[in-house]
Amino acid sequence: MFGRFKPLWGKKPQLKSSYDAVIIGGGLHGLATAYFLAKEHGMNNIAILEKRYIGFGGAGRNTAIVRANQRTQENVPLYKEALDLWPILTKELDYNLMFNNCGNLNLMHSEAAMNTARMNVCTAQFHGIKSHLLDAKQLKELEPAINISPDITYPIHGAMFHPPGGVVRHDAVVWGLAKGAARYGVHIHQQTEATAIHTKNGKITGVDTNRGRIHTPRVLVSAGGYSAGMINKMLGIRLPISVLTIQAMVTQPLKPVLNHVVSSGMYHAYANQTLKGEIATGAHMDPWPNYTTLTTAHYIKHQAEALSDFLPFLRGVKFMRTWAGLADMTPDMAPIIDGNDPIDGFYMNCGWGYFGFKSCTATGRYLAKFMAGGQCPDMLKPFTLRRYEKHRLMGETAALVSYSADN
Amino acid sequence: MNRLTKLPTLRIDPSENRSLQYKGQTYQGVAGDTVATALYANGVRVFARSLKYHRPRGLYSLDGECSNTCMQVDDIPNVRTENTLLKNGMQVKDQNVKGSAEFDWMGFMDKLDCLMPAGFYYRTMHKPASLWPIAMKQVRNAAGLGKIAPDFRMKGDYTEIYPRAAVCVIGGGAAGMTAALAAAESGLRVVLLDARPWLGGCFDYRVSAYDQEKALYQRARELAKAVEATPNIRVFKHTAVVGVYNNNLITAFQVGGESDSFNERYLEIRATSVVVATGCIERPLLFENNERPGIMQVGCAHRLARTYGLLPGNQAVFSIGHDLGLEAAADLFDLGLQIACVADIRADGQDPQLLLALTKRNIPFLRGWVACEAHGSRQVEKVTLSTIDGSAKRQFGCDLLVASAGLTPITGPLTLAQAKLKYDMHTGYFLPVDLPAKTHIAGRLTGLQHALAIEASGRLAGLNAAADCGFDTAKSAAEAGQQLNALPGPERGTRLVSAPVKGRKSFICFDEDTTLKNIKQAIEMGFDVPELIKRFTSAGTGPGQGGIPGHNLPLLVSEYQARTGAKPIPTTVRPPLVPTFIATYAGANHDMCKRTPLHDLQKKAGGVFRRMGVWRRARYFSEDFSCREEILNVRNNVGLLDASTLGKFRIHGPDALKALQRVYVSNMAKVAEGRVKYSAMCNDDGCVIDDGVVVKLAENDYYFTTSTGRAGETVEWIRFHTRYDGWDFHLVNLTDAMGVINISGPNACKVLAKVADTDLANEAFPFSSYREFTIRKKIPVRAMRLGFVGELSYELHADASYMPALWQIIEEAGQEFGIRNFGVEAQNVLRLEKCHIILGQESEQRTNLLDLGLGFLWHRNKPDAKTVGAVALRQTEKDPGRFRLVGFKMEDPQRPPRDGSIIVDQRIRGYVCTARKSFTLNESVGLALVDAELAALGTRLEIFEDECNGKRLDARIVPMPFYDPQGERMKM
Amino acid sequence: MALTISCPNCGKRNGYEFRYGGEDKGPRPAEEGLTPQSWCDYVHMNNCVAGIQKEWWCHKNGCGAWFTIFRNTLTNLEVEEPEAKL
Ligand SMILES: Cc1cc2nc3c(=O)[nH]c(=O)nc-3n(C[C@H](O)[C@H](O)[C@H](O)COP(=O)(O)OP(=O)(O)OC[C@H]3O[C@@H](n4cnc5c(N)ncnc54)[C@H](O)[C@@H]3O)c2cc1C
Ligand SMILES: [Zn+2]
Repeated sequence: MFGRFKPLWGKKPQLKSSYDAVIIGGGLHGLATAYFLAKEHGMNNIAILEKRYIGFGGAGRNTAIVRANQRTQENVPLYKEALDLWPILTKELDYNLMFNNCGNLNLMHSEAAMNTARMNVCTAQFHGIKSHLLDAKQLKELEPAINISPDITYPIHGAMFHPPGGVVRHDAVVWGLAKGAARYGVHIHQQTEATAIHTKNGKITGVDTNRGRIHTPRVLVSAGGYSAGMINKMLGIRLPISVLTIQAMVTQPLKPVLNHVVSSGMYHAYANQTLKGEIATGAHMDPWPNYTTLTTAHYIKHQAEALSDFLPFLRGVKFMRTWAGLADMTPDMAPIIDGNDPIDGFYMNCGWGYFGFKSCTATGRYLAKFMAGGQCPDMLKPFTLRRYEKHRLMGETAALVSYSADN
Repeated sequence: MNRLTKLPTLRIDPSENRSLQYKGQTYQGVAGDTVATALYANGVRVFARSLKYHRPRGLYSLDGECSNTCMQVDDIPNVRTENTLLKNGMQVKDQNVKGSAEFDWMGFMDKLDCLMPAGFYYRTMHKPASLWPIAMKQVRNAAGLGKIAPDFRMKGDYTEIYPRAAVCVIGGGAAGMTAALAAAESGLRVVLLDARPWLGGCFDYRVSAYDQEKALYQRARELAKAVEATPNIRVFKHTAVVGVYNNNLITAFQVGGESDSFNERYLEIRATSVVVATGCIERPLLFENNERPGIMQVGCAHRLARTYGLLPGNQAVFSIGHDLGLEAAADLFDLGLQIACVADIRADGQDPQLLLALTKRNIPFLRGWVACEAHGSRQVEKVTLSTIDGSAKRQFGCDLLVASAGLTPITGPLTLAQAKLKYDMHTGYFLPVDLPAKTHIAGRLTGLQHALAIEASGRLAGLNAAADCGFDTAKSAAEAGQQLNALPGPERGTRLVSAPVKGRKSFICFDEDTTLKNIKQAIEMGFDVPELIKRFTSAGTGPGQGGIPGHNLPLLVSEYQARTGAKPIPTTVRPPLVPTFIATYAGANHDMCKRTPLHDLQKKAGGVFRRMGVWRRARYFSEDFSCREEILNVRNNVGLLDASTLGKFRIHGPDALKALQRVYVSNMAKVAEGRVKYSAMCNDDGCVIDDGVVVKLAENDYYFTTSTGRAGETVEWIRFHTRYDGWDFHLVNLTDAMGVINISGPNACKVLAKVADTDLANEAFPFSSYREFTIRKKIPVRAMRLGFVGELSYELHADASYMPALWQIIEEAGQEFGIRNFGVEAQNVLRLEKCHIILGQESEQRTNLLDLGLGFLWHRNKPDAKTVGAVALRQTEKDPGRFRLVGFKMEDPQRPPRDGSIIVDQRIRGYVCTARKSFTLNESVGLALVDAELAALGTRLEIFEDECNGKRLDARIVPMPFYDPQGERMKM
Repeated sequence: MALTISCPNCGKRNGYEFRYGGEDKGPRPAEEGLTPQSWCDYVHMNNCVAGIQKEWWCHKNGCGAWFTIFRNTLTNLEVEEPEAKL
């Protein structure tokens, strides 16, 4: 009934001295881009370089929340496409990505917040995406665990309900995409670290790794939280990014009790129940750059305080494990996706902060098109790096940028 | 079951009964019992069923490393009953069973393991896609252990404390206690933590000789007494460390005893130096059915008898790899246990004294043998032993199998503190290779077994920790070091993980039902590092985390990869080291927010409060949330608003003006005495971050206000943007020190004139000016004539302590005019009619000063001031593709769109910031941000509301403001 | 992780009392001659160093001072000013 146990993403390939494209970072975006390059553009002489093992970065640490109820029309269509792709990819990759479209509930703690949420709801509905505002009573009916009593720090006025969102199994996406890419001949090199990028006359010529030099006309940096530092160090291109540590945690496993992804901006917290029964929860970041991926005493306590307020039944549940990953934050909470500017053959896809899981498949697909044809597809144009010098921040966060990385 | 009630090592009080309810019956235990030991005393052997295969599970360790004894207690799921103290009346239930733990209808799952190889979820159930939602539901129901109700509320008291310590010692065994005593000699503040409800560690239950006179347990109690008698050692018992963070921050929680006021309390300890003396746990032995009830670890069997007075079985087989196993066998034999055989995986190296003890008792002993299969369906009945290479086998009947591969140190606190671990071939332990700064280790953790050596290492660590705190302990530390060196060093350990078996039912992780076979499958599939195997097979991700598989998994993996010469790589340990209640982490959970000085008065007046940022403010003064009466009263008469939350600041000193020029877009040199200047601050993208008024009190001495939301950051902001300049100015935040009352409406002057000691005539105190005077000869106020709501209006700023009196005076004076309160929402509508913006409501990240039509505030000719935002404003001035703020009127005057609705044609072209039915104008009006192309007067806007089903609302862009365009009413 | 920061006025304190204020980029440039690129570089762009960086902090819940420190972003520990490379 099962195939025997063969290596999921093929035998360890030899590192060749040249490839048509080199992708730095065996995370979500790198794997997805490679998969679509090979599958849809016939480019299968490509290599993914991963310094540790695939999924080592954000890919293996995120809480896998997916949704398409963003704030601006530049973002929503991309996320919608990504949301629609999960079932399709499950089939295509023949790997169960375990999409649980349980719906997202975004708690609102004031009349003003309800109004702010309305803009997202309208934007979603305008794009044919299900999203609604609920008052506190409707919310309670939908998710009885939520505390709508007025005597908590931030009483709940209602919620934004987004039925098609939910959670996907993050590891499955990594392994499934790796499996798919390897099937089309992509070389996945683990334990292989990119150490330099070479250019000549404004064109990419190659990549150095700890295992030797690779010649290539195309390089994509999609190294998650490590991208900005790497791009600056290797190419001298500075990015408007702050690399922060974001944390998440799970409780001990429970029988089904929480049926949606519940999140609250005010409390800086979200929670959902995984298929395994754990309550996965997270959100907060310490607002200073660091690459430690260490958790903090401050945060787990904060999280407990927040959950005690809006999901009080959880007080009788135990935290079991916390972890952290990197979030490369831009000032406008939208990624930087760009290519051939200022170096021909150089592509970057980073700044995904704590929200780059949900979009990885669609982004990878458009980016593959970009890399194969050299022309930026319309879908990706708004994400150009040059928006910052034009003072055209994206508006994915309504909040104003101040001088520090506090978004 | 008969208790051994006379043992001197007991930690129970057999004379005091405690009872619990289980399966509709009352079970008796005694004081000091855990829930599980009480149940064990009553003959319960199957405590739970495993997650996936519903295999019966029993008591295996007593320290909660796995979920074997997790039960539901008092409606709380996943309680580790083996180390939860029994309290009278506890309601105990089985979990994750259909039927009971003893007879579980789901037990057949155990036969289906072939359908569930490693990672089977990923490879099945998605075909056909239509079935996945149903399959998912089943997965959800099958997964999860305990059950909790969505309306469950935790009872009891949870608190927090933040002790400071010079030296924090983790682990209250012999090494930890000695370390604490040594550190305390210098008079330092020492904190000693132990997870068990008593001090003593692994000496506590052992009757072997410590020296000529004392047994180990006696020595432990002697040390404990000395510790408790030392005033500068603070002992926290029943306190598990859960986190260690850099700079020696330690978090832990303490379980309250029967006489404590708290159920649990969270501890956060900042220590200068830390000693980790956490000792060891046992390393599980892998063989077929290695987790059948009746199989337990050495310490578990030994402590059941010695600590709880419960002989763990009748007829036992031992399969062990450490001298502690031999010691336990001899001691348990003396307490009445029959022992069929002791198999030791070691070929040699046993303590001859212990071997002699076995011989004396006629206990059969096998060297180089190991348990390879346990038989019996619900409980162990028989054991097959084999030689290590599997060449010979023998069977023994038994009802107890004491099984353990060896020891493994508790290094969790060290790895959390970023110590790097390396596999040590001699001890077979993962040991730290470089310790973090000011961290020391001692005791069994380091591989020591000899009692005196354990203590010597503790003393050395304690003295070194004192040295970290600035004490010169070099001499005594050198002595302690010499003493330690003279004693036996770390002992050789075992490396064997598994008996010679295929491993289909050999469990490496009990919580997740991960078998040896699963691990092999994962490796074959390309998951070749422990971290990935863990993810793919779930081993070590269950309620007990790495407690059971943590040490064995890396050993196994490196064994499989022997050809690559891979060294075992430890798996990651993550906090909390012990699963911890969210209630405990939350602790006291204070809700902190600010109240204005007028809070109580507003409350009495019927204010409906809302939290706004750090404040609570009165948003409405009636149940009519349209605020019609409040609004009309301001328009036609006079209203009173508590505006105390406004940010209020004084800036003074030689460079005060320069600082203002830097952050405000206007020319602040033009602020004239006695006048009020309205201006804005931008960020470096030109976005408006704040607006407010500035008055000049004297040369280089200004008083200014900011919006409520910015008050907390204003000082930082100004200092930040002048940080390189070395300017000399003082900035004082007066927000909480002063309150603000706003009196607005055509009758405002009349009201104020009754109480103000000044001339309020228009000529004496015109619009947009500033005066200082007193109210009723007593209360000094700073008064501004402003017009945010569009009427004749005064803003009175006064010391917070005067505010209630001031309010009452004005209210009283206004009575004859029918003065009444208005709240934040009424103010919102009033200012909307005047098109005065509220930042954050009519502005966002994409809008700058110019987009909002506030360009008139910008003074472009002060480049030397390097005004924040000016560069961006200049660079975007001619950009046609931006948003513009516009005012609109609805075609249907009765129907304002809801705030946040979007403006569309083929695409989204903007959105409604605020829109209301204006009672004053009998129109529905609003402010919107739209693409500049659409901003011309008269343009028709299509508004797309949520749930509009494609039906759009029509509006038209009209001039701003809507109300009193000439602004005559403010200047009245 | 448990950050501590040394304030020049108040000494070594819990990191949560402070607010991070960005990489040290030097004083505000003169407005004359700024291009959108050079301005953007000053305002938004970061080095994102994985290692030691000089950076600004404000003792927000303390004395209110802005000051610079050197911190290793790989460990989150404050460090001494590194010696200038020759
Ligand atoms: C705790 C947490 C929770 C999150 N929750 C969510 C969520 O709920 N929903 C959501 O949408 N997003 C979430 N995210 C964000 C999401 O995980 C990231 O945005 C996403 O992983 C980014 O994907 P990536 O492929 O760009 O980078 P990554 O997945 O981080 O992969 C980058 C890879 O590059 C490798 N690499 C780095 N340097 C080199 C080098 N020099 N050579 C070779 N390889 C290198 C790294 O080892 C890594 O494997 C969360 C993130 C975290 C940390
Ligand atoms: Zn200070």
